[in-house]
Amino acid sequence: MLNSQRIRSSLFYLSVFFFFAGLPFIIAFALGYKFNAHTLKFSKTGLIYIKTQPEGAKIYLNGKEMAERSPASIYELTPGVYKIVLELAQHYPWKGEVDIEAGKALRFDKVILFPLRPDMQQLNQERFSFFSIDTERKAVYYLDQENKVVYKSNLDGSNFEDVASLPDKFGQIIGWDISADKKKIFIFSYHQISVILFDAQPSHDYSDSPVLLDYPREKIISVFWHSDSYHLIVLTNKNVSVIESRPRAVPVNLIKLNKEDAVAFYDLKEDALYFSDSQRSPDGSFFNNLYKLELNSDLYLLGILRKKANE
Amino acid sequence: MNKAKFLKRILEIIPGGLSWTIIITLILLSVLRPVAGAIIIITFDFYWIIRTVYLTTLLILAHHRMTGQKNKDWFASCLGLPAGKGFRNLYQLVILPVYNEGLEVLRPSLDALSASHYLKEKFIVVVAFEERNIAARKNAQILEKEFGAKFGAYLSTFHPDGLAGERRTKGANATWAAKAAKSYIDSQEIPYERVVASCFDADTCVEPEYFGCLSYHFLTSDKPHQASYQPMPVYNNNIWQAPSFARLVEISSSFCQLIESMRLEKFVTFSSHSMSFKTLVEIDYWPTNMISDDSVIYWKGYLYYNGDYRVVPLYITVSMDVAYSSNIWRTIVVQYKQKRRWAWGVENFPFVINGFIKNKNISLLNKLRRSFHLLESHVTWAVWAVILAVIGYLPIFFGGYFFNQTAIAYNLPKIAGLLFRFTILTSLTWIFLSWTILPKRPKGISWLKNVVLVLEWFFVPAIILILGSFPAIDAQSRLMFAKYMEFNSTLKGNRVI
Repeated sequence: MLNSQRIRSSLFYLSVFFFFAGLPFIIAFALGYKFNAHTLKFSKTGLIYIKTQPEGAKIYLNGKEMAERSPASIYELTPGVYKIVLELAQHYPWKGEVDIEAGKALRFDKVILFPLRPDMQQLNQERFSFFSIDTERKAVYYLDQENKVVYKSNLDGSNFEDVASLPDKFGQIIGWDISADKKKIFIFSYHQISVILFDAQPSHDYSDSPVLLDYPREKIISVFWHSDSYHLIVLTNKNVSVIESRPRAVPVNLIKLNKEDAVAFYDLKEDALYFSDSQRSPDGSFFNNLYKLELNSDLYLLGILRKKANE
Repeated sequence: MNKAKFLKRILEIIPGGLSWTIIITLILLSVLRPVAGAIIIITFDFYWIIRTVYLTTLLILAHHRMTGQKNKDWFASCLGLPAGKGFRNLYQLVILPVYNEGLEVLRPSLDALSASHYLKEKFIVVVAFEERNIAARKNAQILEKEFGAKFGAYLSTFHPDGLAGERRTKGANATWAAKAAKSYIDSQEIPYERVVASCFDADTCVEPEYFGCLSYHFLTSDKPHQASYQPMPVYNNNIWQAPSFARLVEISSSFCQLIESMRLEKFVTFSSHSMSFKTLVEIDYWPTNMISDDSVIYWKGYLYYNGDYRVVPLYITVSMDVAYSSNIWRTIVVQYKQKRRWAWGVENFPFVINGFIKNKNISLLNKLRRSFHLLESHVTWAVWAVILAVIGYLPIFFGGYFFNQTAIAYNLPKIAGLLFRFTILTSLTWIFLSWTILPKRPKGISWLKNVVLVLEWFFVPAIILILGSFPAIDAQSRLMFAKYMEFNSTLKGNRVI
């Protein structure tokens, strides 16, 4: 027992020694001080933390290669301006200049090193005019205006196939979109909308595909699918209207617009149309308003009333 | 309020006040002066690393000592002592205070006693029931019938409820039993100095060699009446059945006792322990109005003998039950209450300081040293996990933009990470040592439990906070605001212990 107590006492005093001997160095290190063994003095330094994506880049400070690879912390840097170069094989180097301050930590943790040969591949197998990405279904749609064809492929370009044919006689396509149910597409020109059912999508509603909807006296600016994938919300230079995507459908004009070049955004999740329109002030000048028109089947009439009340 | 009461209240406020001051100051510093806060936290982190390594080394040494004495035939060692030591005239008084425990708890304890490798005729066993327990008399009759003839003397006592100056504590019951035993000892004309008294928790199962080991140390110690004898408590009775974290907490408790056994100048009796009956009578038995009777009895001896009183570690185990209940939540509550009761040992602080003020024979240095140890151990118990697990990260969150640009803000989590890695390293040592004190896996317990036994150590950070610091803060705060705790027995498994 006596022997154990001696060992214990020795351990205790050793621990006390380590604590008091080590503590100044730990605190000094934490605060960014560097101990100079020659002068036996502490000098305040700064540090830099470098993290790259991808990791493993060589780090050069003022042209001198560091032993560490990113991610790395480089301690005990005397205050001043440093030139940093980060190099990784097969990647563009990253270059920068930093001002290291005493007692400060500089973090470069958002450095991306871009590859010399980007990982790039061609997805389309045919010519096209427009494309659209559907991340939900992981598909790419290509629209070839010249050959009047719609193609579809996976996000990596595989399974490239034509899925629809566009009508032969159609004006310059201004815009297009795929319905929420991914079964059909509309295209529109200034005075006409066409709804085309994708191939192999049997539907009694679209026996006359493509459907053609004419707007001879208005200029179409934007068209949106309603979430039911059946109604279309059409913004022209005169009106906001809703039209069913069936042959010989008649548009319902919901809002009469003051402005000819209104801008609109459609929130498909909430079935809400945001659009701008101008209003005349009592002094005769015009100013813009932004309106929200809720087109949820339960609410859109309310929206109309609200807009009219405002007018 | 008279002067004595005022002093007592001040002393009751000091531990909790100090713990709360440390916690609040560090939180405020982390927000208002994050650099200063970070420096203090790093100092504490470094201190804790050193302390952990130091304590783990002590644990290894204590464990080595315990392993070395395992399977030792202590009874033969006693027989080998010179006749003048009087081994054959040494009596063992064993008091088992019973709260609400049933026969399923008491039988194994008495079985273990009767299986002792010792002179059975020298045993005076007192099973101390509480009179208010309606099953007490019936259980006493059953046990007397079963065990009465197995010992030299067997007594059942029934501690009356509501005696003047008493609270419902284990110490009150044990004292009542000890006084009954004194009547018996007087009637047999046995000198008090030839009796060693052991007060065991009701679920305590001794090893067969326990009384041999105790007698050997008692008879060979210098000033044997000026010492308490402390076995190493382990919680092996139901350890394989207990939930992971409950097991982990109890293993940690056993290890803490092992570590304490190496720090003799701080070593205080805990739970089941033994001492000279002569001393027990002279110091007027266990306290009857304090919950932490197991440690207060040591301090009574220390004050009575003017500081010349010590705890002799016995590197032999006594096994008790792990406290647990029917589901995890209830087990957490049971464990929490048990640890809070242990932490209520902070009531020793006012008791000891009061004693020091009155005692003029203990040197000032000793008084200061022991007071500091006592206060430091309770305050550390309350704050260390809070500092390491919570406050250590506050400067980063509340330090603001300027602080987060500094080198110390960058280094603080790195140093905390280093501490965590050190904790893992020491945990590995603890895992290994915990394996060596485990009883053999009983039949019906899956071998997968072995894997769980290792993995459970990764819950240590959460457990130390919930079942380490919080109960201690709770106990100290109660003492601080004079919300005195009542004794509550601990539910262990399906039994009340």
